[in-house]
Amino acid sequence: MKFGKIIAAGILAVSLTVPAVSFAADKPVVGLVMKSLANEFFKNMLEGAKAHEAKRGDYTLKAVGMQSETDIETQINAVESFITEKVDAIVVAPADSRALVPPLKRAMEAGIVVVNFDVALDEKAKQEAGVELAFVGPDNRAGAKLAGDALAKKLGEGAKVVIIEGNPGADNAAQRKLGFEDAIKDGKLSLIDSRTAHWETEEANSVFANMLTANPDIKGVMAANDSMAVGVVKAIEAAGKTGQIKVVGFDNIPAVQPLLKEKKMLATVDQFGQQMAADAIDKAIGVLKGGAPLKGWVKTDIKLVTSDDVK
Amino acid sequence: MDATEINSASAGSLGNTAKTVLREAGIGIALIVLIIVFSLTTQHFLTSANITNILTQVTINLVLSIGMTFVILIGGIDLSVGSVLAFAAVVAGTVMTLPGLDPTVAVMLATVSAVAAGILFGLLNGLVSAWWGIPSFIVTLGTLNIARGAALQVTGASTIYSFPAAFNAFGSQTIYGVPVLFLIALLLVAIGWFVLSRTVFGRVLYGIGNNEEATRLAGHNVFFYKVAAFTICGAAVGIGAIIYMARLNIASPIIGIGFELNAIAAVIIGGTSLSGGRGSIIGTLLGACIIGVLANGLILLGLSDFMRQMITGFVIILAVVLDKYRERLTKA
Repeated sequence: MKFGKIIAAGILAVSLTVPAVSFAADKPVVGLVMKSLANEFFKNMLEGAKAHEAKRGDYTLKAVGMQSETDIETQINAVESFITEKVDAIVVAPADSRALVPPLKRAMEAGIVVVNFDVALDEKAKQEAGVELAFVGPDNRAGAKLAGDALAKKLGEGAKVVIIEGNPGADNAAQRKLGFEDAIKDGKLSLIDSRTAHWETEEANSVFANMLTANPDIKGVMAANDSMAVGVVKAIEAAGKTGQIKVVGFDNIPAVQPLLKEKKMLATVDQFGQQMAADAIDKAIGVLKGGAPLKGWVKTDIKLVTSDDVK
Repeated sequence: MDATEINSASAGSLGNTAKTVLREAGIGIALIVLIIVFSLTTQHFLTSANITNILTQVTINLVLSIGMTFVILIGGIDLSVGSVLAFAAVVAGTVMTLPGLDPTVAVMLATVSAVAAGILFGLLNGLVSAWWGIPSFIVTLGTLNIARGAALQVTGASTIYSFPAAFNAFGSQTIYGVPVLFLIALLLVAIGWFVLSRTVFGRVLYGIGNNEEATRLAGHNVFFYKVAAFTICGAAVGIGAIIYMARLNIASPIIGIGFELNAIAAVIIGGTSLSGGRGSIIGTLLGACIIGVLANGLILLGLSDFMRQMITGFVIILAVVLDKYRERLTKA
């Protein structure tokens, strides 16, 4: 399968780099490196970026996505071909917060403006490589804390809760887990188990059903994304405990709207993904047009969404 | 040699019943040992609610594994099942949520279209690999990508939800604690068992896996049987897609990633040989149960995610090694 993935990644990388369009000399070219376009969140983000390109009209957008969330090689290949094509700026949502540092360093050395968004590159990896790179993105930890706080407020002190984590090793998964843990500490909840379901609905459904068997007195669930929250809600239904166990998620995908409305889910968090790529592109163009180099963390909006927000 | 080969192959599948029983008993014993271990070490394993959970969690993999058994028996492999499951699910989901359809009609049309979508890809896999003699590993690696891309294309990468309430409720129904969805899977096990062990069709599939050339020389249309095996697998995937939707009430183009590996593991743990010609549906049923019991029991034991993953891998290797010894024991 590894072999297959490499072939697939290779094919994708080639097919993505082949349509070399000739660019008008005056418009800067922005290379957008996305994560999996199979994920609704990134697909919406790309659409937001395309709409932004049409609206601004003063730059040309070249977007590259990957086949799956963990397909790091495609991203590295994309950065490398953007360097070869001599684009003016690269805006990147890294699939791996360490592996992308070396190719991005090469891009900066080639005089390309690089802006990191969505998931922050690893501080230590940046230091070791000796690069200074700004990050435009949401505070996943603060977002998860919002959702966790809502759950804590609803349940009260001492209630037993579990966390359903995202992919081990993914930075946003780690940040969201930390945010949940912050809320658990502040709200004096009791964390009895924490497991990954790899962002997936079916796995979350099975894993949570088994956790509930082992701990029948679970009162609350914090899921690191909404796809997993959907699986958790269904497991609660199957166990006949709808209403007795509260669930919070993250991302505010359309599929959880009915669940929020029917109060099968307590809350989720919107991080306005559609605007995020566009914001990052704005920042990159600002630098290209002679603005000061970006530094530190440019935080984007996050908002708690509850049944009150769903019409 | 050819004539004697086919004779011993067909005689083998009938005359070796005792040996087959012995082989399957081996896998059954492994399952029973696991069950005993988890019953003794965890508090909730043997409760009726937990057994319901395990059966629910086994169902999708079992249905895919039944189809996979047909393909592996002829010496093939189908890597596309996870992607085809996603494609069939989004096609069915689209049909089910068409505006203005009566709920019953919508569910029936959706079921038919899921199975049709599965059959379509099964046919494609079978026709291409059998006609040009291309290893099915390569062909299904291609259709893995085609089906995934098609699923994303159809939906624009979005998740489909809001199915009829009766359909959503159906997915969690149980009869005396046995999930209805699992009963559907058991019915498929029974059909698969009958076809493979009690029909000429099944015997020819074993023959192809044992010695394709001999089967051809014996006058069987190998091309037809090969395409049929892949098509059966595709149909099973279509049914699996509907079961997925009934259980989780969504259809998304990114579901089913890696499901092919779980299905292959169930078939192999169940004693079916990867080189074809040897194995059974009952073995596959037991193999799928072993994977499901393990996934459930290790969580009840409180083992960490990473330990669970390592142990599951270890069990797959152990099962195949044990199978080598069992093979030696039951040959001769």
